[in-house]
Amino acid sequence: MALRRYTRSVDGTIPVQALLYNDEELLASQDGVGIYDGSQKSSEHQNGTVHVTTHRLFYVDAQRSEENSFEMALSFINMTEYYAGLLRSSAKVTCHLAGTPVTLGPTEQDGAHAQFDSWECEVCAYRNPPGLSPAAARICALCGVPRTAVQTPVTSVPSSHLSSSLPSSALASSTSLLARSHSSSGHQMPAIACPACTFLNYPSLRTCEICSTELPSPKGEFRSAPSSRPISPDADDDDVQNKMIKVSFRKGGDKPFYAVLKRSLRNKAWEGGGVGTTPAFDTNRMSSDKRNAVGMSGISGILRTVETSTKGRENHMKDALQDLEALMVKAKDMVKLAAELNEKLTVATAAAASSSSSTSVGSSTLSLATQPEEATFIRSSLSQLGVQISNTSVTLDMMKDERKWFDELARELARILQGPPNLSGHGDTVTGGMMKDRGIIALDEVWGGWNRARGVALIPPSTFLQVIPHLSSHTNPTIRHRAFTSGLNVLHTQPNTQAAFGARLSGFLMMSGPKTTMDISAEEELTVSLVAEMIDAVEQDGGVCRDDSGAAITGGGSGTGVELRWWANLFVGYIWDGQE
Amino acid sequence: MALTTHTTPSGFLLPSIHSAPPFFTEQPNPTTQSIATEQWIRLILTYARHRKLFILRVEDAEAAESDWAEILRNERINRKMTPGHLCNIMVAMADKNLAIYEPPKQKRSILVYWRLPEEWAEVLYEWVVDSGQLNTIMTFYEITDPLVESALTNIPVPLLRKAIGILGKTGRAQMIAIADGEGVRFLAKSK
Repeated sequence: MALRRYTRSVDGTIPVQALLYNDEELLASQDGVGIYDGSQKSSEHQNGTVHVTTHRLFYVDAQRSEENSFEMALSFINMTEYYAGLLRSSAKVTCHLAGTPVTLGPTEQDGAHAQFDSWECEVCAYRNPPGLSPAAARICALCGVPRTAVQTPVTSVPSSHLSSSLPSSALASSTSLLARSHSSSGHQMPAIACPACTFLNYPSLRTCEICSTELPSPKGEFRSAPSSRPISPDADDDDVQNKMIKVSFRKGGDKPFYAVLKRSLRNKAWEGGGVGTTPAFDTNRMSSDKRNAVGMSGISGILRTVETSTKGRENHMKDALQDLEALMVKAKDMVKLAAELNEKLTVATAAAASSSSSTSVGSSTLSLATQPEEATFIRSSLSQLGVQISNTSVTLDMMKDERKWFDELARELARILQGPPNLSGHGDTVTGGMMKDRGIIALDEVWGGWNRARGVALIPPSTFLQVIPHLSSHTNPTIRHRAFTSGLNVLHTQPNTQAAFGARLSGFLMMSGPKTTMDISAEEELTVSLVAEMIDAVEQDGGVCRDDSGAAITGGGSGTGVELRWWANLFVGYIWDGQE
Repeated sequence: MALTTHTTPSGFLLPSIHSAPPFFTEQPNPTTQSIATEQWIRLILTYARHRKLFILRVEDAEAAESDWAEILRNERINRKMTPGHLCNIMVAMADKNLAIYEPPKQKRSILVYWRLPEEWAEVLYEWVVDSGQLNTIMTFYEITDPLVESALTNIPVPLLRKAIGILGKTGRAQMIAIADGEGVRFLAKSK
């Protein structure tokens, strides 16, 4: 039954505080509780106090505290359930248990008490005080090195055994182990012959008794010991009933207690952060590499850890770089694909233009049904992706002299801005590119777009500014550069020159009355800040004048919404028509 | 929006530009602003002549009951002259010798020359001749506040002094110190 297998009886007459390990802490207590072993009431534990600590769960019986009290390590609990209670049934906390239970043989009891011995660390010679929890006692409190590897072969035995490191207790535990394994399997362990002096050593020794040479590990025997031992009925063939206990709260206090229990379980204070905490871990290590187990202690252990983490980091880095490389390869494919698509589109449109009546073009994968609008749409999508350039980008090493280089760059930039050169002759329409629907575009956007389109061999701003003056001779309709007084630089087409805009603005204001900057930006379909710049420039020329609502008698001032309205310049040409 | 002229309750014909809101805003463009200032100066001088106003203060831009409210405010378009704007116009008037700071050495109020001091001198002399007061000694008070209202009624003393000074240069007036202040004697034309 779960209660018998997972718990260990304690003398309940001793106060709980005195039962704790040095690094253990009492978290909560609740009296008036009963214990269920599985689903049955455990008749001996029906009225008592339950204590939860960072490591263990204590039950101290109220009537017969000496016989019926017990403790249970929290590490056995793998799941808890909470039942709030209904009518006469009281609230319960169910603990599902797992792991290798403790058998309460006499040797185990001895072993358990062995942990209250003090021991000296082999590495730093620190004398560790007794009274720590099993996990903490396995590690030197000063330097963090686990206790000597001599004891590690017995790690498969419940952890309390590990604690014995003094020669006498080590011998005792070894003999007890030997005796048990002898009785269980009927198999005598052979003495180990020293490879140097041939002395037959006692099987549990790791180094030769005579010459201190390291001994080969006693193959198989120790590892077979745990599996052949009769203790611990296998966890798998238990039914669920046997693997849980319930704590029934007859006098309430269930909720705070459960909260404390949950927190304590989450913190896992019993794991202590040491090596070799779980028996399984140590057994694996032992069987895989004996030297490894020896190396786990001392400086070499630290060095090994450093080495492992370095290796791990290296691997991660290598993986990441490989990913990056793969991505680059893929990107190249993408660009190529887009370029092909573009070429096919060109062929398709050309074919469509030449033979408007024909219904199909054989080789092209794109059917000729692709309408020009669709083709342009795909193209514009491509340009938004920034992969519009059909041939490779122009770089300096491709050109002989600088002047020609700038010319080539200007030609390339013209294609970015206006799409491929217009062959049909009427040059007023821009077929594509960044300026397809816009007459004016900020310089930084052009630069960004161009570099996005190039993808490789990016153009520095200085070169970009040198290319701009060449642009007008390669664009049709001409694209010009303009710098506003605020320092904003734009590229613009003919309808957006200052004169043209000023005339258009004056006309607009004349036709539809005074307008705010917002209204004008909506009319021009340009950003407000850009329009504000343009209007300022027009105002500089005297094309418009302003009406500030700060001059209003009522209302007005800042914060009232509309602050500035633009008027056509009514001062120019005004003739006095007032009183003479 | 067609701008129209407007006649004020005092019978003054406001120019059409007075009903354009931008007229009340100071224009950043110097060229545009110079036109606006020109129109303002003309408006101020015309109105001053109409109402016989001499002193214009920056504070007049704020006060709804000031003598200048008819031109400095336009309730129909909800616009008024801002003090800063008015101040700049006053500076421009002083620079063009169409006004002087009165009292001097400050810029908050001006004496508007809707007639130049030379013109005032002529007006003064004509009035003296017409009223037969040549060769008599007159106090300033008798000129500024005569029994029969004249063109010179309420003329500020500094302006009067200036006009007398101009007449004195041509030998037609003479300043005389009398018991309780100053007096002036107008003389017949020497030529």
